[in-house]
Amino acid sequence: MSAPDARGGYLLLRRSGVLWGIDNTMVTGLTRRGDSFRILLGDAALAADEVLCVVDGLRIQPAAALRRFWPGGGPGVTGLAVHGEQPLVIVDPQRPPELLWLDDGADTGEGTDER
Amino acid sequence: MIASEFSSKSAKGSNRLGGLSTGSHLLVQAGEYVCALPLVSVRRVVRSLTVHPLPGSAPELEGLAEFGGEPLPVLNLARMVNAAPGANPSYPVTIVVWAGPTEAREIMGLAVDAALEVADVPLSSVVAGGGGFLLGEAPVAGRVVRVLNLEALGRE
Repeated sequence: MSAPDARGGYLLLRRSGVLWGIDNTMVTGLTRRGDSFRILLGDAALAADEVLCVVDGLRIQPAAALRRFWPGGGPGVTGLAVHGEQPLVIVDPQRPPELLWLDDGADTGEGTDER
Repeated sequence: MIASEFSSKSAKGSNRLGGLSTGSHLLVQAGEYVCALPLVSVRRVVRSLTVHPLPGSAPELEGLAEFGGEPLPVLNLARMVNAAPGANPSYPVTIVVWAGPTEAREIMGLAVDAALEVADVPLSSVVAGGGGFLLGEAPVAGRVVRVLNLEALGRE
């Protein structure tokens, strides 16, 4: 799989049934790992079940209430948005939620597209 | 989608709700409890929204939904007020509200069993309040309702 060419915007991905958005300028690598994907944010490696697209123009809404009720993901969330009719969670690239962390033990090493 | 819109005019006595009395609060059924939501914080009442669950969330958080192009976390109000589950609701709704302090308010959804009516709930009638999200209890038309403070809802 090729990394999106356009920089800027948000890389949309799905993980654990949740739609996530990551600032595309912070993504330094995207690698296929069998049926899933490995995403690099500098030194941090994240996992995705599905990579959808890069989108511009998301209207980011605050997520303070969400952080309060979502200890498993909220601390690494900077906001909420909608793409199409799907709500999505905006990731804090400095401290991505634990739900996105990569389990390196399962790395298959297939196809690579580092930036 | 069936939606009822509320505004601050409603709370000031202008009846825009056709068939409902004017008042200060919207009464909703949340499990076995009746809760009163300040009308100034209520934006819409819509048929129960489709919710996308968030793994690892607190039981009160049903998940994320979309309404009018905006994302909103949806909370289960019965769980928020520790109400025992009621009868299977025939017309569950989501109350779209403003939560949090005025200067940092957020849009949220409250999943409830039913929207009941609009009623006057004078703050002077509220007793046994904790000062937080559950402001206290008040007698309304012969029953006790839980009066909620949505400004306290979004605080971390």
